[in-house]
Amino acid sequence: MGASLPPKEANLFKLIVKSYETKQYKKGLKAADAILKKFPDHGETLSMKGLTLNCMDRKSEAYELVRQGLKNDLKSHVCWHVFGLLYRSDREYREAIKCYRNALKIDPDNIEILRDLSLLQAQMRDLSGFVETRQQLLTLKPNHRMNWIGFSVAHHLNSNASKAVEILEAYEGTLEDDYPPENERCEHGEMLLYKISLLEECGLLESALEELRKKESKIVDKLEYKEQEVSLLVKLGRLEEGEVLYQALLSMNPDNYRYYEGLQKCVGLYSVNGQYSPDEIDRLDSLYKSLGQQYKWSSAVKRIPLDFLQGDKFRAAADNYIRPLLTKGVPSLFSDLSSLYNHPGKADILEQLILELEHSIRTSGQYPGRVEKEPPSTLMWTLFLLAQHYDRRGQYEVALSKIDEAIEHTPTVIDLYSVKSRILKHAGDFAAAAAFADEARCMDLADRYVNSECVKRMLQADQVALAEKTAVLFTKDGDQHNNLHDMQCMWYELASGESYFRQGDLGRALKKFLAVEKHYADITEDQFDFHSYCLRKMTLRTYVEMLKFQDRLHSHVYFEKAAAGAIRCYIKLHDSPPKSTTEEDDEMSKLLPSQKKKMRQKQRKAEARAKKEAEEKNEELNAGGASKSGKRHVKPVDPDPHGEKLLQVEDPLSEATKYLKLLQKNSPDSLETHLLAFECYTRRNKILLALQAVKRLLRLDAEHPDSHRCLIKLFHIVGSMNAPVTDGEKLIWSVLEAERSTISQLHEKSLVEANNAFLENHKDSLMHRAAFAEILSILDLNRKSEAVKLVEESTNNFVPSNGALGPIREWTLKDCIAVHKLLGTILHDQDAALRWKSRCAEYFPYSTYFEGSCSSVSPNSIYSQLSKNSEHESSNHSTGSQNAGPIKSNGKLDAFKDLTI
Amino acid sequence: MVCIRKATVDDLLAMQACNLFCLPENYQMKYYLYHILSWPQLLYVAEDYNGRIVGYVLAKMEEETSECHGHITSLAVLRTHRKLGLATKLMTAAQNAMEQVFGAEYVSLHVRKSNRAAFNLYTETLGYKIHDVEAKYYADGEDAYDMRKQLKGKQ
Repeated sequence: MGASLPPKEANLFKLIVKSYETKQYKKGLKAADAILKKFPDHGETLSMKGLTLNCMDRKSEAYELVRQGLKNDLKSHVCWHVFGLLYRSDREYREAIKCYRNALKIDPDNIEILRDLSLLQAQMRDLSGFVETRQQLLTLKPNHRMNWIGFSVAHHLNSNASKAVEILEAYEGTLEDDYPPENERCEHGEMLLYKISLLEECGLLESALEELRKKESKIVDKLEYKEQEVSLLVKLGRLEEGEVLYQALLSMNPDNYRYYEGLQKCVGLYSVNGQYSPDEIDRLDSLYKSLGQQYKWSSAVKRIPLDFLQGDKFRAAADNYIRPLLTKGVPSLFSDLSSLYNHPGKADILEQLILELEHSIRTSGQYPGRVEKEPPSTLMWTLFLLAQHYDRRGQYEVALSKIDEAIEHTPTVIDLYSVKSRILKHAGDFAAAAAFADEARCMDLADRYVNSECVKRMLQADQVALAEKTAVLFTKDGDQHNNLHDMQCMWYELASGESYFRQGDLGRALKKFLAVEKHYADITEDQFDFHSYCLRKMTLRTYVEMLKFQDRLHSHVYFEKAAAGAIRCYIKLHDSPPKSTTEEDDEMSKLLPSQKKKMRQKQRKAEARAKKEAEEKNEELNAGGASKSGKRHVKPVDPDPHGEKLLQVEDPLSEATKYLKLLQKNSPDSLETHLLAFECYTRRNKILLALQAVKRLLRLDAEHPDSHRCLIKLFHIVGSMNAPVTDGEKLIWSVLEAERSTISQLHEKSLVEANNAFLENHKDSLMHRAAFAEILSILDLNRKSEAVKLVEESTNNFVPSNGALGPIREWTLKDCIAVHKLLGTILHDQDAALRWKSRCAEYFPYSTYFEGSCSSVSPNSIYSQLSKNSEHESSNHSTGSQNAGPIKSNGKLDAFKDLTI
Repeated sequence: MVCIRKATVDDLLAMQACNLFCLPENYQMKYYLYHILSWPQLLYVAEDYNGRIVGYVLAKMEEETSECHGHITSLAVLRTHRKLGLATKLMTAAQNAMEQVFGAEYVSLHVRKSNRAAFNLYTETLGYKIHDVEAKYYADGEDAYDMRKQLKGKQ
């Protein structure tokens, strides 16, 4: 390094490198300038100066200098290495790898460059390259523990666990018998556990168990030791030993239900779907009774039997379980029981049971068959439980009457208002739900949970501005007003994106959806530093787990929602482009092609200039505010806070395709993925890709109304295509022909016949009838009125149930809204839509969408009388034009002023 | 019933979401990764019967200081899941691991002066004592109690 320089400058050069490593960038810059004064063309110095500037947020200068440096000294590994580091800092890993490789051509045994290369290979999952580099590092420095471990992990990641074990054993061979010293015991123990997990992965269960027991004294983490041991015993079928061990684990933590599951497996009483024979149920019952004797304080031993017990035994156990929790006032009781509602018959038993408790407490102040008086709060918690029960069953009116009674009983319990808010949301009154959530919030301004819940409700009611004002009460970070984005608060960004989308503000919606997407990119990036860190820390099992987590990161539900939201925005943008760009297009279309080209070039240059100016401005800001460490104090100004620039994409559908590909790769089992694919590809006239989407829909759920819609729509499009002319078109045509014959729904049927058959199979389902009607109107425009009639003739049947308080109907609010939209905007029958609306207003009296008589948009509703002076925005989703204005002065919000948290 | 178990990397996103929903002090994902990749034994979650994360404890070891000790970075339980003793169970699990795996002498934590509920939990149920007051510890200017608890075997 700096070899070609005289001694004084060579020392200065070392100083630059050291300053870079210690982040003393100003000092490094000074040294670089001192050298350049004498040797202005010195390549390595130019490069290092560039790298230093890069850390001071002077990007464009950095690239210029690093390129110049490399040009002046192409044979320097330093210049190539620096270029690689520069690319790496911009996450351009592929380019960085190329640079490191060039550097290594010049200096093949350079440990630093090899190490940097290995990190990138791990990050990019270039696993064979990673193995190779780690091998070189080990060969060069076999006395470093980290190089042994790194080589082993590389093989493991590259699907060669047995090789990984060999390497670890070779490494152990280099250690003294009394290893490890006191301060390395944890690390060594972790290494041993890693090796044992590798043996397990290789299927060498006996050796794994043997090794585990042999090394027991050297494994510090005793809990992990036991968990590993029991897992091996069970896999080896040594169930009796497993049982003993699970009992030991339970005595350490009787609240871990995986231990109960393990214990059940060991005694041969486990089924994945929870189905058991009567005999098995008896044995399970007595198992849990005896466990209940041992672990009196564990709620798990009391709750788990509710899953397998049936009939009277279930009733008795549920009764036993529920009573003390009502007396204690445990707010999560309903959510704890809610999975039982999926078991046939249990919801009815629970309803009867809780009603009996209610009746008994109301009349005598005691539980049935008991002499002790219950405290007054027991009635309130019973009403609270009942309210949630009826909410779950869709009986919103009863639910509300129960929660109102509870509130009247004890008006100071916040949880009651939260539940009332939730019931109103389910019943379809988002504005009222938000108002009650706000009431809950005001009862404890220091509790972020009630704040968040309120913000969520406000966003559901499309009160975005109010929601943001409420959320930021908790998000001040120094001078920063709102750190929701910096803290990766994804639920908030998603919910506000969805609200903006409903309101037709595509720019802001996209902004939020892409913000979430960015968080996932950042999380992917986060792993970088850990590639070397974990090799030192020896947390190898967790490290490998983390890499796997990263590999499926984009299948996480928030990402899925954000990507789907963004795609929907782009589709809408394609269908109705914003006015400004269409006007420009009109102007453009008048020009000659050569003029067009010139104009585009001009535009592009102007954009580039603007971008550079913005960058320079940011650099100035940063240079001014930079401290010694070069840490940024000023946040770069967001040049597009409202997402207006996002709307100006040239080809929205190709943007959409980017996110679609991620969904197809990471969420292939979601119907939504393939629905969106269908929508994108039909718009882009990619008929075979649309066909692929349809086939995937059929594979996932052939009877789903949307699968049916897409199938028939696709072949309807195919039917209206011109006869093929080119070879390519002919090929597509023949593929479509061949594929059509393999789709059973279309076998020897016309599209109309296929549609009829679909209706025949699903006559009683509203959504299937709606899909049939939509397709009917597409296939034959003359049959639109028939389609409308068919939808209107659907009947909302009662769900078979012996519910004690009134019948439950089948249709859901969500489906009815979808049908309303179908009638109004797709079938274009406004009269029918109005009829549908008033019919649904009867079914859903709390729905603001249908303007039900109890909803907050109705002048007669209790809610609107309550808040007459509050002028709450009535959320009118049908027009989608409602906008959250400035905060209304509804008294409650005065609390904002003197709020401290 | 709520399950108390060691956290895995797959729990981190849910832990972050839980934190953002109910606490004013928040962290980026990298900080959660740093914890689990440094001290995987010290992160516990409370998972409800539907598989939702309703509480967690995020803890670490202070290795630079002379006396080896643990530190509770963050503890949260959703408001809806109070009265189940989850905070106590989570804290006990993390404290045990600190002592057993890392040989910690004591555990430290910070709590807002105004947070009476948490303060009571730490002093009365879990046996923490005020060690110091850190002025303006929180971003909004509030003071923190610096609290400590000696671990069992080390008393």
